[in-house]
Amino acid sequence: MKPTPHIYALTNSSLLFDASHLDAKDKLSIQKKIWALTNHCKSTDEFTDLVPAMNSLTLYLKSDKDLNKWLQALPLLWDDIKSSTFKGQHHLIETTYNGEDINYVANYHNLSTDEVINIHSKAKYHVLFLGFQPGFAYLHGLDEQLHTPRRDEPRVRVPKGSVAIGAAQTGIYPADTPGGWHIIGHTNTSLFDSTSAQPCLIQPGDTLEFVPLVNKGATHD
Amino acid sequence: MIKVLKSGVLLTIQDFGRVGYRHLGVSKAGSLDPFAQIIANKLLNNNDNDAVLEITVGLCELEFTCDTVIALHGADLQATLDGQAIYPGWTYAVKNKQVLSFGTGRAGLRAYLAVKGGIQNTEVMGSKSTDLNARFGGIEGRALTTGDEIPITPYYGEFIKVGAIAPAQRKLIRLYPSPHANLLGKPLLDTFAATAYKVSTNSNRMGVRLEHNKNSLVHSHSLPSLGVSPGSIQLPPNGDPIVLLNDGQTTGGYPLLGTVIEADLHQFAQFRPLDTVEFKYVTFEEAAQAKQKLDGHLHQLSLALKNNL
Repeated sequence: MKPTPHIYALTNSSLLFDASHLDAKDKLSIQKKIWALTNHCKSTDEFTDLVPAMNSLTLYLKSDKDLNKWLQALPLLWDDIKSSTFKGQHHLIETTYNGEDINYVANYHNLSTDEVINIHSKAKYHVLFLGFQPGFAYLHGLDEQLHTPRRDEPRVRVPKGSVAIGAAQTGIYPADTPGGWHIIGHTNTSLFDSTSAQPCLIQPGDTLEFVPLVNKGATHD
Repeated sequence: MIKVLKSGVLLTIQDFGRVGYRHLGVSKAGSLDPFAQIIANKLLNNNDNDAVLEITVGLCELEFTCDTVIALHGADLQATLDGQAIYPGWTYAVKNKQVLSFGTGRAGLRAYLAVKGGIQNTEVMGSKSTDLNARFGGIEGRALTTGDEIPITPYYGEFIKVGAIAPAQRKLIRLYPSPHANLLGKPLLDTFAATAYKVSTNSNRMGVRLEHNKNSLVHSHSLPSLGVSPGSIQLPPNGDPIVLLNDGQTTGGYPLLGTVIEADLHQFAQFRPLDTVEFKYVTFEEAAQAKQKLDGHLHQLSLALKNNL
């Protein structure tokens, strides 16, 4: 029998839909179904918040009265939903690859910095979900050649716009924050602006790629 | 306007906080003791969600630059108005140039100050609350400091003195069951519920950390990130539970011991470091009844005030 998602009532008005045990090999396909499920639930207008995470979705209901209905409906919806129904936006993140750790990352993998830039910028990344801080996207798609253990000592301040690598993940810091990832570049693209009508550029399920900018400050003697 | 003469330990502007942005990683923020906010606002015939000042520990001094009416609720932090003692649960008329000072209290941690008409700072993403981590909302996204001017609307109208008692404080916190019961196992969950905890000094608006001297809650499980919210109780591998509060993150990878019921979550606003906390799992029906009881208390207050204001 094929495994089924676990569904828990967390409170009288919130549910956890957990599909993280379904398929260890194809996390991305499961995540696409999570985005499609999220979209469907959003269209009903019965939730205050819908929070996709790693192969799971936490649902916060407007009314306690709808809890049992959704406990029963979610497994059926999951069977019906196709991963292909969700289409996110694609973003181009212009990046200057001059981060203070780019040489470290290159040396660690016996690559040149140009090779690091090529590998990092040729991939298409999926935004699995957001968390940690406003606008911080957990990205899927970092080439294994660039997987790099986190820094032994986290930096007290990683500047806003830093493009970084931590273990099997790459990401962009939307604001100044402490962080233990290796900084390989910087983008001027604003990921989060609380005063904007659309505060967050990137949404769960979007895709993005990094577009290398030539570092105009560099001189070649 | 209210001028901050002394900001004390932590002084912030809060309302009910932000809803609808958790999928972008945006925390709720908002008053940790929303019932204190609601009661203080009701006493002034404000909207329940009007912004208030959250005063942590006390030791702050505020000067009014216009007339208004205020209501205090939450912890008794030994407030005085021009040297005269004033008490939580009551309304007071305030005149231009008067100074409101807070000492500190023996019980409870946070006091709430509502002003007639509410605090008038700009809304950001649907709320006036201060998000201290992401640094937006309130005034410049930060705790208030000496010299800040808090915008309020002057009020010269009539004033009827009214008061209201607060819902009872309790140390036995009721919980919804753990979604990770299979992973953590019954012995661990039984031990968790049978243990008395001390509130760690390392607690803040993000979460209350709980200490104890057993090592039977230590574990080595790591989970794919899942959505968490105020009231989620995380169990990191070191075995010291964390009760997430309003400034907590939106996702996390620690197993959950359960969720604090809606009616009891506000108690964490008032626990002080080294206070004792205990937990008890309850059914979904019991959680719903406890919430109804609290809503009933507030409804009765609204009715009583309607006849008086």
